[in-house]
Amino acid sequence: MAPIVRVKSLDKYFGRLQVLKDINLEVAPKDVICIIGRSGSGKSTFLRCLNFLEEPSAGSIEIEGLSVSAGGKGREHRQRVHDIRLKTGMVFQEFNLFPHMSVLGNVMEGPVTVKGMDRVAATEIAEMNLDRVGLLFKKDEYPNKLSGGQKQRVAIARALAMDPTLMLFDEPTSALDPELIGEVLNVMRKLAQEGTTMLVVTHEMGFAREVADRVVVLAEGEIIEQSEPDELFRAPRDPRTKALIEGYRSGVRDEDALPRGPARRRT
Amino acid sequence: MDYQDVRPKSQAELIFAAQLRKNRQFRLNVALSWVALLVILALMFSGEGNLPFGLRGIKLDTQFIAENWSFIAAGLVSTLEISILSIVLATLLALIAALGRLSTFPPFFAVSTFYVSLIRGTPLYLQIVFFFLALPQLGIILPGLWAGVLALGLNYGAYMSEIFRAGLAAVGKGQREAAMALGMTARQTMLRIILPQALRFAIPPTGNEFIAMTKDSALVAVTGFVHELMWRATKVGRANFRNLEALIIGAVFYWIMTLILTALQSRLEARMSRGDR
Repeated sequence: MAPIVRVKSLDKYFGRLQVLKDINLEVAPKDVICIIGRSGSGKSTFLRCLNFLEEPSAGSIEIEGLSVSAGGKGREHRQRVHDIRLKTGMVFQEFNLFPHMSVLGNVMEGPVTVKGMDRVAATEIAEMNLDRVGLLFKKDEYPNKLSGGQKQRVAIARALAMDPTLMLFDEPTSALDPELIGEVLNVMRKLAQEGTTMLVVTHEMGFAREVADRVVVLAEGEIIEQSEPDELFRAPRDPRTKALIEGYRSGVRDEDALPRGPARRRT
Repeated sequence: MDYQDVRPKSQAELIFAAQLRKNRQFRLNVALSWVALLVILALMFSGEGNLPFGLRGIKLDTQFIAENWSFIAAGLVSTLEISILSIVLATLLALIAALGRLSTFPPFFAVSTFYVSLIRGTPLYLQIVFFFLALPQLGIILPGLWAGVLALGLNYGAYMSEIFRAGLAAVGKGQREAAMALGMTARQTMLRIILPQALRFAIPPTGNEFIAMTKDSALVAVTGFVHELMWRATKVGRANFRNLEALIIGAVFYWIMTLILTALQSRLEARMSRGDR
């Protein structure tokens, strides 16, 4: 199938440090692509470049025929970035639910504020998407009353409510307690089965192996390898990929695999 | 209750209970000391001749107090009126100044920091007198009340901008990113996501500023045209050479007002901290 996402020669610098080098990637509709790599390999930055939360330094991103080049300025560029964001839904490691809004409010916020939908229609869409993640019964709660896994599922529903072409997941389970990871992965698995096009930055190798159509390995800002998961996990070509996979297998996960930021729990 | 917890108490529970007891005892002792201090204060102004340690109580003119306390008390309305108007103005200014401080647009940033620097670099008393006495020379004549409100509002706005800046900064950057990822514009992100959360942070400290303002509003008495507590206290005190009595009455009213507002404030704070976060 013709790709709906085309990333061409994407570069990203932080100051003089180059964190992404000439990234090229094509995604076909309904593809699930997992991006793996060590801490600092640039995988999250890459994902954040796709919806311009990070402005790429060079290259272009095309989603469903809408192309945005790096380095643009002015009103037209902003409009294109806005349109790209409408085509992508993003799920963050730290959930980032809006704490001052109910669960339903969180999911309605996009349709109402961004799309200008009337509240009745938005409520219907929000409830449908909460049902998809199995949390319709929590619609009147506030986020502080939810578990981490539930928060992330609401965050997924919030992104889905905008009916995006492409879903971006930035380490969606890394901030979760181990026993809560399963429920989020189950939702993602279901989305994949429903044919959602997904890009997933993850450390969950089991999930990647089972669900991904393709696994992309990033190291030092470059794609060093990409192939079908079975092939990649069985016979990695690059020694860095091999080391990465073996690290997970032996249970010695690199430090990045642990949750980061405020939700991190040390016991 | 027919249900009873018969498990032996754990070490942690025992420690917790002991600490609760200790806290309660401490608070009780503090309350008793307060009562003792109040009694001493009352005795000091009782006019009683035979206090311990050979001290003599100060004799207050009770007739003056009886005749004039209500006149002074009437100033409470004016005091609260100035304070409420000023805090509204101050809140608006503080919010704008805080947004300026966080702005990347140089002129806005400059105006904001200039305002804060100028106001914080000059005395509140001077500012009040300036608005009342100096502006008429430029053809701008403000009634005393408005000169006071303008000065207090500008002054507190400058100080409170820090509160709002902290409130805005306390909203995590993930919130902004989540809003942007949904496709919200910068303006929508600010109005729908950042500001509501920042205001929640800012409400309790704004309450504290309001309490402080009720007392600083006494400075507006200098205009002579706003008949609030302080003006009334000095007015009747001077007229009858009973400044001691008049100022004590004024002080008592300020104090009572502050106690009530502080109690309201701590309830507000408790409620906000419970909030949906």
